[in-house]
Amino acid sequence: MTAPSASLLSADLSLSLYKTLYMTRRCEETIVRIYPEDNMKTPMHMSMGQEAVSVGVCRAIGGNGDVIASYRSHATYLAQTEDHGSFFGELHGRTNGTADGKSGSMHLADIPKGMLGSTGIVSAGIPVAMGAAFANKQKSPGRVAAAFFGDGATDEGVFWETLNASCAMKLPMMFVCEDNDLAVHTRKSERQGFNSLVEVVRKYKCDVYEDDTNDVESIYALTRKAIEKMISSGQPAFLNIKTYRYLEPCGTMQDSDAPYRRAEEDAYWKGRDCVALQRKRLLASGLAEKDLLKVEGDINAAIEKSVAAAKAAPHPGADLLSYGVFYETP
Amino acid sequence: MTNQSLQKALSYREALNKAMHDAMAASDKVLLFGQGVNDHKGIFGTTSGLADKFGAQRLIEVPLAEEGMTGICIGAALNGAYPINIHIRADFVLLAMNQIINLAAKYKYMFGGLFDIPMMIRLVIGRSWGQGAQHSQSLQSLFAHIPGLTVIMPASSGAIVDSYAHAVQKHRGTVISFEHRLMYDLTFERDHEPEVLGKTPFSQRRVRAGTDVTIVSTSIMSLEARRAADWLADRGISCDVIDLHCVSHIDHDVIMKSVGRTGRLLVADTSWLPYGVSAEICRIVCQNDPGALKAPVVSLGMAPAPCPTAKALEDIYYPNLTTLTDSIATLVRGKNHGIDLPHERSMADVYKRFKGPF
Repeated sequence: MTAPSASLLSADLSLSLYKTLYMTRRCEETIVRIYPEDNMKTPMHMSMGQEAVSVGVCRAIGGNGDVIASYRSHATYLAQTEDHGSFFGELHGRTNGTADGKSGSMHLADIPKGMLGSTGIVSAGIPVAMGAAFANKQKSPGRVAAAFFGDGATDEGVFWETLNASCAMKLPMMFVCEDNDLAVHTRKSERQGFNSLVEVVRKYKCDVYEDDTNDVESIYALTRKAIEKMISSGQPAFLNIKTYRYLEPCGTMQDSDAPYRRAEEDAYWKGRDCVALQRKRLLASGLAEKDLLKVEGDINAAIEKSVAAAKAAPHPGADLLSYGVFYETP
Repeated sequence: MTNQSLQKALSYREALNKAMHDAMAASDKVLLFGQGVNDHKGIFGTTSGLADKFGAQRLIEVPLAEEGMTGICIGAALNGAYPINIHIRADFVLLAMNQIINLAAKYKYMFGGLFDIPMMIRLVIGRSWGQGAQHSQSLQSLFAHIPGLTVIMPASSGAIVDSYAHAVQKHRGTVISFEHRLMYDLTFERDHEPEVLGKTPFSQRRVRAGTDVTIVSTSIMSLEARRAADWLADRGISCDVIDLHCVSHIDHDVIMKSVGRTGRLLVADTSWLPYGVSAEICRIVCQNDPGALKAPVVSLGMAPAPCPTAKALEDIYYPNLTTLTDSIATLVRGKNHGIDLPHERSMADVYKRFKGPF
């Protein structure tokens, strides 16, 4: 296990970041545990391993911004909203979910919390985040918008269209590339005709940041810097954050035996697991393990409560089937 | 016309793999393009083993770039290749509509016949287990609307093997094939293959002959129509079930002869009703002989909404065996038909059990 550097953040913030990281991880561990019960009848695209990106970036946005997640949306949704009640409601297809159970795992949203959605079409949310940035620049100066996407999405034309337009229009738009090197099972080296995305993006009129620490505090601090610069300079930010997907691309299982996996890569990233790293840092800073266990126990209990509430919540009725198809001001 | 090339019982998945294999073996011009064509999952097993046999250079693992890759396939096609471009969800092809509709469909015509665009686009329709709004769409009518495209919806292993061979070897234009994910694990026996009602494998098929009511169906609804028809046959209602198969090029005589005999028509499509297959079948009947009908047409398809994820809503979003059987019985005997209905809430067991892989 990599040893974490000492925290440069306040003790409260350090602990708070850990709580969100732990909650996110625990929610997905819960999914892994109860998915075989077949109560959550929706495909799962798991964030596990990649949580530090969402938690660090969303905390840096700190409620003063809007976010669009990739289809691997769990960590981004949970980091932005801290709301595992609606999350589990939605995964269970119940009316206490984010969308009355109509969205499932892939389309999580919460407008008041600046979670503007996630889509099942790779890269489709990137220009939508730019639209939010455009509106924010006009009506809410200082408020930013962020698009989360995987490196696979950067193969799509719409990513480049949006990058170009955001830079040309000088929008408070943050591109957050969750760079796990994989589009489903395919490595960047097989898909991309250049060596370094960040080197290409540097040619655009935006500020480019890189991180490969898997350390939530480092990602948080980098994003704070990016946001401050974005607000002062008026040009977009591009964050390329290296990360690693623990589970199969769709589903809740390990796929360590799959031919695209590399044992040394797996060991390297699991040796710097983002949740374990932050936990270790807190203990090294003097926090007593029993206090940390209490924090974790409270989160565990709250998640179990959310799962129970989801299972007890009503199923959506037939009246909801056509809701949202044709709509206008009453 | 019989299914000559299907030698035994094959699952839909095996038929797809065989069709890909046969195409690549028949001509080295056949190239497969798609995300996942050459990974360990091999598009649900339909491209597995082909790289070993024919070389990885013929199974091109592509970047996520649907429109660009479609254009590349068009360019390869007009320069002598036969590209097969595969999307594991039909929904993903929406990113390539410009190349398909503005170029592939029109290239032959707008250059005065100079170019052929022989290629195939394989699209998989998802359904069940909360596939939701963006992973379950049945988009056949979008494509069938466009002159210059040929759209098929194979509903059996024989339909796959024969139609894909015909597409690659004989057809000179772009074929769009909608495969249904829930059929992949179903096995089709050669003896039970529907009768092909025309001269080519793209022709309509008769799933079951009958005299009381015509059922025109597509894709997996043809399987459900067969089940409903079997049930009703034991209860005195005789259904003439026509699997449309090629939804873009429909033999009007096949439809009109059947409707002329039965006087009643029910259309069971996998998609939305407005401007869709059911609307087209109604157009054909109304233009040819509206007097052939003794009763108003009934059409079944998805509810007019994006697909909801929640099982409680998904169950009422799609027609099921019960509603299909009830609709047929009502059409023939009236509301108080008194016929008992099959109990399955959702249709085949395989639907209920389906939990991926997606």
